[in-house]
Amino acid sequence: MPELYSDILLDHFRHPRNYGSLDAPDVSNEQFNPLCGDRIRLELKLEHSSVTAARFKGDACAICAAAASLLTEIILGQSVEQLASLPDARLISALESDIQPARLQCALLPLHALHEGLANYRSEPKQ
Amino acid sequence: MARATLVATRGTSPKREGAKMWVGAEGRILGSVTIGGCVDARVIAESEQALSSFQSRLVEMKLGNEDAWEIGFSCAGDLDVFIEPVDLTRSDNVFELYRAVRNAIDQGKRAVLATALKDSSRKLLLIEGGETSGSLGTPELDRAAQTVALDLMRKGASATVLLGTDSVFFETHGPSPTLIVFGASHVAMPLVSLAHDMGLKTIVVDGRPRFATRERFPDVDQLLVGIPSEIAETLGYTSSTFVVLTAHDYKYDLPVLKVVLPSRPAYVGLLGSKRRGSAIKEFLHDGGMEPELLNQLHVPTGLDIGAQTAAEIALSILAEAVALRSGRTATFLKDA
Repeated sequence: MPELYSDILLDHFRHPRNYGSLDAPDVSNEQFNPLCGDRIRLELKLEHSSVTAARFKGDACAICAAAASLLTEIILGQSVEQLASLPDARLISALESDIQPARLQCALLPLHALHEGLANYRSEPKQ
Repeated sequence: MARATLVATRGTSPKREGAKMWVGAEGRILGSVTIGGCVDARVIAESEQALSSFQSRLVEMKLGNEDAWEIGFSCAGDLDVFIEPVDLTRSDNVFELYRAVRNAIDQGKRAVLATALKDSSRKLLLIEGGETSGSLGTPELDRAAQTVALDLMRKGASATVLLGTDSVFFETHGPSPTLIVFGASHVAMPLVSLAHDMGLKTIVVDGRPRFATRERFPDVDQLLVGIPSEIAETLGYTSSTFVVLTAHDYKYDLPVLKVVLPSRPAYVGLLGSKRRGSAIKEFLHDGGMEPELLNQLHVPTGLDIGAQTAAEIALSILAEAVALRSGRTATFLKDA
């Protein structure tokens, strides 16, 4: 049984990886929870349709912030096609924590930013 | 026209040092140095004489009890009014200094203009941050004036101070005080309304558009929705800025405090218990924040007035912020 807040979750919350912004990102998407106020912006640089850099910024709870930090590591090097089918369970399992149903939306908020950001990117006319 | 400035009061006074009245050569009047009545009438007469001679003058008014009652004092008070003729068609040093004051205010800074009352052409301007221009006559006098000016700048007050044998009037100017509230909570609502009534510019920041609405904050000057700590980085913080965090949520409190505390506004208050405050401070300290900065944080925010409702909590927060700005200890006035 995983712990409520695993060491990896707490470590990513206290020491977030890839926190910040990118100059001229190819993908940028901001998501928020209208009730609790979690707010995350995910930015990606793409080369040949693969992620070469990922950053996130936001004020969010420990679960959401750790999930965003982990996500920026998981997606590095992956193609847009691969990421379109990245399952929720991949991110949830990376947190190694007992995420209760009421907190799933916290953990998945960064993933929503990824999916919506990529969907917008795919629909934009390319030069 | 003549510019009359209330430069000193002894006893109680309906207006504070710095109050101004302009008297035009054609009889036009703008502003007042008291609440009206015989004192203002005498200032108008003295201003007209100062205009005729084009000489500055210090008018000392000793008020008896009858005069005092008549003009609204509750007891006898004395006041000094400094009257300077100003030729608006001539661009001289005074205009340059006031332009510099305006520029400082536009940049969110305070400024103190010191004037020797014996000779009003001797002026020294000190701008928040250390920039100076002009002189009171000697380097010694300028150094002494700078010490006084910094204290008055912090308090946001004007006063006449005797430096050696020179009476010097220190006139403090600053931007309108601003209240920045992080968290569009139910406490934030009366906090903003009360601050608005007190003449403060108000800004509310939240990540939730459902909470940061004009309906909930009809009096607010700016509603900003986004990542709160990112918005915090874009705002200016001066010695006239009060910051209160009312979200009662670490996800906003921690990142916003990391931005706000090093910016050293006049006041930073955090809603929450002492226990919660200790935990927040410990987290920030573990992240590398200096204890000296953490000590600037007022948590729990507000004065101990037994506040229960959101409106009472708002009152206690603003009372503490005003007391701090004025350098007062917020005791009962009857005991002060």
